[in-house]
Amino acid sequence: MKIAKQIIGILVISVAAAFIANGINPKGIPLFMEKNIYKQDTTSKNNIGEFINDPFDTTSKPNQLFFSGKKNKQGFIEPENISLGLAKQLFDRRALFIDARTKEEYDTLHVKGAINLPYHDFYGKSIPEKTEVMKKYGKSGIIVVYCNGGTCDISIDLAYEIAKLGYNNVSIYKGGIKEWESAGNPVERR
Amino acid sequence: MKELLENKYFHLALRIILGILFIYASFAKLFHPGDFAKAILRYEMLPVSLVNLQAIIMPWIEFFVGILLIFGIFRKSTSLLATASIVIFLIALISAYARGLDISCGCFSLEESSSKGDILFRIIQDFFMLAGTVILYLFSEKPKDKQTSPEQV
Repeated sequence: MKIAKQIIGILVISVAAAFIANGINPKGIPLFMEKNIYKQDTTSKNNIGEFINDPFDTTSKPNQLFFSGKKNKQGFIEPENISLGLAKQLFDRRALFIDARTKEEYDTLHVKGAINLPYHDFYGKSIPEKTEVMKKYGKSGIIVVYCNGGTCDISIDLAYEIAKLGYNNVSIYKGGIKEWESAGNPVERR
Repeated sequence: MKELLENKYFHLALRIILGILFIYASFAKLFHPGDFAKAILRYEMLPVSLVNLQAIIMPWIEFFVGILLIFGIFRKSTSLLATASIVIFLIALISAYARGLDISCGCFSLEESSSKGDILFRIIQDFFMLAGTVILYLFSEKPKDKQTSPEQV
């Protein structure tokens, strides 16, 4: 019993110290990670007819924005969640698919033609380095980021990293490779 | 063997080594919760909304456990808490290793570079630390209750 009381005491002091330190630390972070800012599937209001350019073609004129196109307070256009159906339509129109998982996972199975940009590598890079990695892709082209599906979140994180670089049409396909494959869509292995 | 395990100097050495490791492990994370949150995120284990809370609180638990271990305060409770922390770390590490996640540990520093060898090394290291905290727990004296020990006035 005494042990339990002591442990609770240690935990309470730790939590109190943690909150105070986080509060006064200039590098402090919000208590809860803000992931609820992501919009729900907006498939119906997206106008696929506007999508005319090729994400690999950096010379093309800026495309009309595929998504809402409104910048948030941080000055970038937030990625949108898309469903399997829209992901397939975009795939057929040569959108750039980006696999946010590790190279090993990518090599095992990925969306046909997708490139691999492991989030864990990408996150650590400086902004000029990130820009360098992405510069071969047109800023107004449609980008679809995915990971495993289910509870995996790195597609969301990577999509935001890319959107912050000024890419306007970034989407998150949360169904991921599992849903994509089980729907019988094109995949490849390396 | 039992004599060694109950030897108070052996306990002192264990407590100091483990205490220093705990404090050392907590240090980078105490002041960079954002980087630690990213490290936790890489494990893909916790719901995203809870990652920040863990990143804020966990390093402080490690820090206080380290301090208490070194000074030998609440030995039984501290070693139990230390054991529980290491078991949690081990579950995360082993599951990351089993899933083939190519991530850095985020155990002692918040480096981004990664290798599977790093994870394996940390797993082995954590098992040694676990052995230490379990010995401390099993062979430390229980905290005395005031009612049951009238001689302690």
